[in-house]
Amino acid sequence: MLSEASNGEALLRRAETRRRWSLAMPALIVIALFSILPLAVMVVYSFLTPGTYGNVVWQFSLDGWFSVVFERDLFDDTLGLADAHLSILGRSALLALATTGLTMLFGLPTAWFIATRPVATRAYWMFLITVPFWTNLLVRTIAIQEVIRADGTINRLLLGLGVIDAPIQMMFTNGAVLLGMTYVYLPLMVLPVYAAIEKFDFRLAEAAYDLHASRFYCLRRVIFPLIRPGIVAGSILVFIPALGAYVTPRLMGGGRAMMWGNLIDLQFGQGRNWPLGAALSVSLTLLVMIALVLSVRRFAGGGRSDV
Amino acid sequence: MLEIKSLSKTFGAGVAAYHALRSVDVTVAEGEFFTLLGPSGCGKTTLLRLIAGFEQPTGGQLVLDGQDIAAIPPSRRPVNTVFQSYALFPHMTVAQNVAFGLEARGTAPGDVARRVDEMLQLVQMDHLRDRKSAALSGGQQQRVALARALAPRPRILLLDEPLSALDLKLRKEMQAELKRLQREMGLTFIFVTHDQDEALTMSDRIAVMEGGRLQQVATPRDLYDHPANRFVAGFIGETNFLPGRAAEGQLRLDGFAPVALAEAKAVNGAVTVMIRPEHIIVGREAPDCVQTSGQIDELVFFGTDTHVKLTLPGGASLTARAQNSLHSATDLNPGQTVPLSLPYDALRILPDEAAHAV
Ligand SMILES: Nc1ncnc2c1ncn2[C@@H]1O[C@H](COP(=O)(O)OP(=O)(O)OP(=O)(O)O)[C@@H](O)[C@H]1O
Ligand SMILES: [Mg+2]
Repeated sequence: MLSEASNGEALLRRAETRRRWSLAMPALIVIALFSILPLAVMVVYSFLTPGTYGNVVWQFSLDGWFSVVFERDLFDDTLGLADAHLSILGRSALLALATTGLTMLFGLPTAWFIATRPVATRAYWMFLITVPFWTNLLVRTIAIQEVIRADGTINRLLLGLGVIDAPIQMMFTNGAVLLGMTYVYLPLMVLPVYAAIEKFDFRLAEAAYDLHASRFYCLRRVIFPLIRPGIVAGSILVFIPALGAYVTPRLMGGGRAMMWGNLIDLQFGQGRNWPLGAALSVSLTLLVMIALVLSVRRFAGGGRSDV
Repeated sequence: MLEIKSLSKTFGAGVAAYHALRSVDVTVAEGEFFTLLGPSGCGKTTLLRLIAGFEQPTGGQLVLDGQDIAAIPPSRRPVNTVFQSYALFPHMTVAQNVAFGLEARGTAPGDVARRVDEMLQLVQMDHLRDRKSAALSGGQQQRVALARALAPRPRILLLDEPLSALDLKLRKEMQAELKRLQREMGLTFIFVTHDQDEALTMSDRIAVMEGGRLQQVATPRDLYDHPANRFVAGFIGETNFLPGRAAEGQLRLDGFAPVALAEAKAVNGAVTVMIRPEHIIVGREAPDCVQTSGQIDELVFFGTDTHVKLTLPGGASLTARAQNSLHSATDLNPGQTVPLSLPYDALRILPDEAAHAV
């Protein structure tokens, strides 16, 4: 009797499991086809030998991975660290961090402003924030180029006012890349932070004032901890694409202020070293994954109750 | 001592102006359990928010211990609030919530810890001190909210319907406990409720509000026995209203012989007379009473007593309440006509505003 009952139960459970899997199948296929498969291709390519005109030769080699970190001297064949790669990685990380910081600096007050408007006008403000999203990234970046070019809006304005005698060189600097990326990624910070602030119960702020908190104390102890998940989400959304950014650094930084994304592009293009390019991509993916896991452990767990 | 002097509050301006408070005048004494009672939207929360400092009055004064507190921001007023929604900080533990008001004022850590322990013991929440406040039951949240508001030693504690979210049994328990705490600490409570039983059982004095005005401020007993007007009489307890006329110290209920009544001396003309259901004597004739009879329409059994719904010979309806004692004199049945006695001293004459309004 008893075993019969549990037998039936097990059958039911198995059927249920099968049903769930079959329901999830379409999504799983899409993920496998467009996310896991390309990644697998990258991993495989990174262990092959470069062909003469790009592409790969099906012969196992660790050279791709090797050259991510080391380079062989052309003349005496000694090993040295690949300084160029490492400095590009360093610049990418710094620029991505700085972008995250700047989008936070501008995005937090913006999100606060929108979230505290009357409900009826909030949609209008959100619309203004998302408008740039509807425009092609290339067009947006070229538009900002137009502003800071040697004969762009800012320089012409300053020249016209007589503040400067010669145009300021702003294009093709780290500053230009940072400006471009901050502009491009700002909405990615504003949206999750706005969502967090909108959910915030302002009666809690009132309770804090009632309990003798100053405005700053209330911000630090009550408001900030409760909207922190939104800020963390925004930072991840900005940092990850910023680290692998390609279009904006290319247009705003030219060949001088190169970032990791441009380095990868170089290997698949002029460099004709696909395994190195693949190894660079995979290492970027790994770095991002590690950073993500660490930050999720640190912030999003919600285990800590105080600041 | 808190003096509220012709305090008014108007939201908006011009045609959209809404007068939430109209010239409220009252003084709350030291150590008093003072209750604001009134229907939804009468301005109770608004008055509390003005005292806490979240809203600025449009007129009048708030004087606490001789000092006008209008210009003092909420964070520096010596009053704390138990909010209707509790508004506990969800990311903090019970102990951290209670410590908040002390830490915000820069109290030394040792003193904070001592006071938090004391408060948690007071509300019997010591065993849950490290629980996140979001993971508490309604009654537990209520206790934490109370401990948190008491911790900074306010001069006045404001409570905005603190018990309305609790079920009946828990509410009764918390009523008793709140009252005990207030008495033991000798603290001034300003307590908001729209539950008349809660107000009657807990308060030293009750202010009945309606439409942004104070209708009457009195002890529970006075409020029940001598309501100032028809609104108060109808809002507190159950009441019968009968139309009548008063002249030269004589009260004449419509359809009855005139009665000499001390109360009738002050008034002249059409009046409304009130009598509580439990004062009506059903089934017999008693001395010093207006005598009449009524046909029983309906009997509703309430355990300790039975509500008797009657129709008088003139067509007016009346509710009486008959105690269910062991030796009830009569058996009552629907359809039966029974004698009724309305004792003279149970008749209350109310100024007849409602009669004019109809
Ligand atoms: N900020 C505001 N702006 C406009 N009107 C308001 C505002 N706050 C309150 N009111 C109005 O003032 C009136 C009194 O509100 P209040 O919150 O004081 O009522 P209450 O007596 O506490 O009612 P309840 O028992 O439902 O809590 C209501 O009609 C309300 O709509
Ligand atoms: Mg209210």
